[in-house]
Amino acid sequence: MKKLLLLFLTVSLLVFITACSSDAEGEEPNEDTAGEEQQTEESSESDDNNEEEEATDEKVEAVFWHAMSGGGQESIEAIADNFNESQDKYTIIPEFQGSYEEALTKFRSVGGTEDAPAIIQTFEVGTKYMIDSGFIEPVQSFIDEEGYDISQLEENILNYYTVDEQLYSMPFNSSTPVMLYNKDAFEEAGLDPENPPQTFEEIKEAAEKLTVKDGDNTEKYGFSILNYGWFIEELIATQGGLFVNNDNGRTEEATEAVFNGEEGLRVFELIDDMNKAGTYGNFGSNWDDIRAAFQTEDTAMYLDSSAGVASTIENAPFEVGVSYIPYSEEAERNGVIIGGASLWMSNGIDQEKQQAAWEFMKFLQTPESQAKWHIDTGYFAINPAAYEEDIVQERWEEFPQLKVTVDQLQETKPSAATQGALISVFPEARQQVVTAMENVLQGTDPQEALDQAAEETNRVIEQANRANQ
Amino acid sequence: MKSATEIQGKSSTRIVTKWKFMYWRSAILYLLPSIILFSVFLFYPLGKTLYLSFFLTDQQGIANVFVGFENYQYILQAESFHKSIKATILFVLYTVPTGIVISLFLALLANEKVKGAGFFRTIYSSTMGVSVAASAVVWLFIFHPSMGILNQLITSIGGTSIDWLLHPDWALVSVAVTTIWMNIGFSFLILLGGLQNIDEHLYESAKISGASYFYQLRRITIPMLSPTLFFVTTVTLINAFQTFGQVDILTQGGPSESTNLIVYSIYREAFVNYQFGTASAQSIFLFLCILIVTILQFKFGERKVHYQ
Repeated sequence: MKKLLLLFLTVSLLVFITACSSDAEGEEPNEDTAGEEQQTEESSESDDNNEEEEATDEKVEAVFWHAMSGGGQESIEAIADNFNESQDKYTIIPEFQGSYEEALTKFRSVGGTEDAPAIIQTFEVGTKYMIDSGFIEPVQSFIDEEGYDISQLEENILNYYTVDEQLYSMPFNSSTPVMLYNKDAFEEAGLDPENPPQTFEEIKEAAEKLTVKDGDNTEKYGFSILNYGWFIEELIATQGGLFVNNDNGRTEEATEAVFNGEEGLRVFELIDDMNKAGTYGNFGSNWDDIRAAFQTEDTAMYLDSSAGVASTIENAPFEVGVSYIPYSEEAERNGVIIGGASLWMSNGIDQEKQQAAWEFMKFLQTPESQAKWHIDTGYFAINPAAYEEDIVQERWEEFPQLKVTVDQLQETKPSAATQGALISVFPEARQQVVTAMENVLQGTDPQEALDQAAEETNRVIEQANRANQ
Repeated sequence: MKSATEIQGKSSTRIVTKWKFMYWRSAILYLLPSIILFSVFLFYPLGKTLYLSFFLTDQQGIANVFVGFENYQYILQAESFHKSIKATILFVLYTVPTGIVISLFLALLANEKVKGAGFFRTIYSSTMGVSVAASAVVWLFIFHPSMGILNQLITSIGGTSIDWLLHPDWALVSVAVTTIWMNIGFSFLILLGGLQNIDEHLYESAKISGASYFYQLRRITIPMLSPTLFFVTTVTLINAFQTFGQVDILTQGGPSESTNLIVYSIYREAFVNYQFGTASAQSIFLFLCILIVTILQFKFGERKVHYQ
């Protein structure tokens, strides 16, 4: 009896152990595609012997991880289909991998291995991390090899992704912040809807007039900013202020946060003053919430990404105006930092796949692809020639406000400030800024809140530098 | 394994040791599946976490600078971690007692033998069937700053609308309300099971001697239910310490870090900031907290438990 039991236990153990190990294998992503490739390789070997013509049918498959959901995802899939049909050597397989953060976390676990996707879309603040990771092939090497002309692309966008005079990743979806305002509310309040406030002081005055109160309840706030670090970065940059030292980490590794300087303080004081005056609406840190607040006329002016402009105009039951983001009257207007994401190429994968990725990246830069992308999503066209395409011109006639976003970008003065900061601990720095912003809304002194955030950021920069020596 | 006849031939003392050894061996064999499972999914990660907590990690998450207790020192003096601890303790206090009292109340109601009790039992335990993510999203809409039904309700009866998820004090309450709602199903079901196990004769005797309902509740129901209550308290307490999903969806730890519960703060350190060292140190800290609370609970709480 005991022997039987023992036997049973050993057998079940064995089963358990094997089940475990196969589970572990199952966790590796892209298992399916890897299997397919093996198949195609095998079949191509046998095909080679038979007919040479069939061998050309075997396409190189390259996986493209992106973080675009909704309309962006549909557009990417359509563009990838166009690419796959346009030639017969490569197939691009777009795969949605969750938000930028989630996709990046997944990429960390497969980066540098054969299982890594050929292309991964990473947000702008992940730039420094990607460069340092050692998992990627700079696209500059393909540009040099082929003599590809990148001067056709938008200079201000290239500026962001060029580090040490090398273009590391191919810009793809770029956006900038703009201010959206309710024109109908402007008329009701006796303001000129064609002449929106441009400086911090003007914003304060306009917000005062736009705010509608009913007893204790504020029915409509004058102005709102999403609790998201990006907007603070932009408002600092437009005054020519830096986020971190060493020219925003562009000339040398950044060692210290400087966003608590006078430019940052002006932004925080603006928020603090308006919040105390009761004209500033706080709608949290969720993009959809602040957009909903604008749609339901709970706020009359707010900052949004240019990628959200088209859908906001379409959905709003009132006339929507679009203008440049405000700047302090004590500083000059410098323009905006490019936001959004770019495409990175993995190393450690087959050269053929890299080639496929490169061909696809070039395909994405064509005016046709960019025009489709621009009107589908509202992201910028990386290639300004796209703006001459008929579909874009038609769209602009329908929504003249879209052009404002493009003008703001093209009027931007290139400088370290508008180039954007380059630090590997950006996600954490952003979190600190958001916390500071929330603290100010709860009554903390602006300078104190900023200093605290800067101090915390300094600590993580220092720690990251120590750990990555 | 030696056969029984062979063993019979040896001296009696050797037989005893032999049998002891065999008992041991079969005990280990019986335990082996759980030992392996626990080792793979609990002991190894625990060991690795402890190891990582003494290091700084680079961008690949590899531990490469040994820093001793620096990570612990840092978290113990960092203001944001103090806030996390405070928020977690408050959160536990908000959710555990309230959740259990409400579930007990519902379980007592549903335990009455009335028509349609089955329907209410299903309704009260239905939150068990909703995933954390789904229910948190529903609550997200209920608390919505501009379209939330809760604020519309309040303003329609003449109150001032509340910044549910946007004000630091209210945000924790909102997350707690969501959590209580989500946990009711589980506690309710376990408590109802406990109630149904209580011997009917006890109530019959009580009725004969003319005891009131509340006297019965105090002298029969609660003591007889105490093992179940103890179990539910322990489990919900540990769950409350480990709350993550609803925080991630409702507030992302904000505003002003007021809902940055320890597990969420660990997640953010590890997977947003890629500081596995400090994240591990926080995990170890949380482990010790839960361990101490559970030990205390067993030491003092269990005294009051009446086992039949």
